[in-house]
Amino acid sequence: MSSSKIQELKKNRQLNYKGKKNQLKYGLIFIMIVSFIYLYLFRNNFIYSIIWLLGLFIGFTLQKSRFCFTASFRDPIMVGSTSIFKAVIIAFIISTVGFAIIQYKSLGGNIDTDIMKIPGQIAPVGVHTALGAILFGIGMVIAGGCASGTLMRIGEGFILQLIVLIGFVIGTLLGARHFEFWDKLFISKSPAIYIPHYLGFPLSITIQILVLIILYYIADWYDKNNNMMAM
Amino acid sequence: MAEVRIDCMYEACPIPLIKALKKLNNMKIGDVLIMETDHSCSITNVIEWAKKQGHEVDYAEVADGEWEIYIEKRR
Repeated sequence: MSSSKIQELKKNRQLNYKGKKNQLKYGLIFIMIVSFIYLYLFRNNFIYSIIWLLGLFIGFTLQKSRFCFTASFRDPIMVGSTSIFKAVIIAFIISTVGFAIIQYKSLGGNIDTDIMKIPGQIAPVGVHTALGAILFGIGMVIAGGCASGTLMRIGEGFILQLIVLIGFVIGTLLGARHFEFWDKLFISKSPAIYIPHYLGFPLSITIQILVLIILYYIADWYDKNNNMMAM
Repeated sequence: MAEVRIDCMYEACPIPLIKALKKLNNMKIGDVLIMETDHSCSITNVIEWAKKQGHEVDYAEVADGEWEIYIEKRR
């Protein structure tokens, strides 16, 4: 859909480009190292070997799809575009179904088990959740990536985000060191809420998926009706 | 028709988009903005935005991991 002017510029520019360097040998070395680590883990810790494979596939998907959690929450506000935000909502819907199956199987019909024994990240919710979310949101927009996006771009060769990674490591270490303080101040006083305890399993899953579908349509409508930073 | 070139090398989202927006504001209709970037996310980001704004847009890989994005101002 580009105009003739652009086509001409593009053609002139590509005449000087001799094509990509052959990266086959790096690829082969990489596959060797990856399989070696997999075999090592497979022999010593089966669970880790599965996680290793999952991590590799997630990284590959992130890189190829340009999926970016930062952009998904930043772009609706900055440029009024919600295409990645909608992708996040779809991911939530899929993981809701997935986690429903995992948790249902693990609970085995006994819904009143201890929350800490239910698989998934069910953590106390309170002021600290909102506070941490705001801090993380500011940080990720300035740094240009969340944790997964930063790692993916370093792997891709985008050097700037190495600095982000250093900051990320320092922040995580400080957070782990001061966790006890925050735990005493907010976290231990906040309740961990598991909605199926109150509504039962089928109802809470249905409500969650319905809310996500409604959010998807709101996001779609927002995209069509907002042209922020328009000229 | 004028060509304006901006250097967005080594800059992460959303800086390239903001730079492009500021430059486009001072350009005439029909002018072409050429953005140099090595941030692959900018391609999706800037192109989606430019299309939504109604500009002509395309990109090309000009070296390994370096791209040029062409935006022709339409309105």
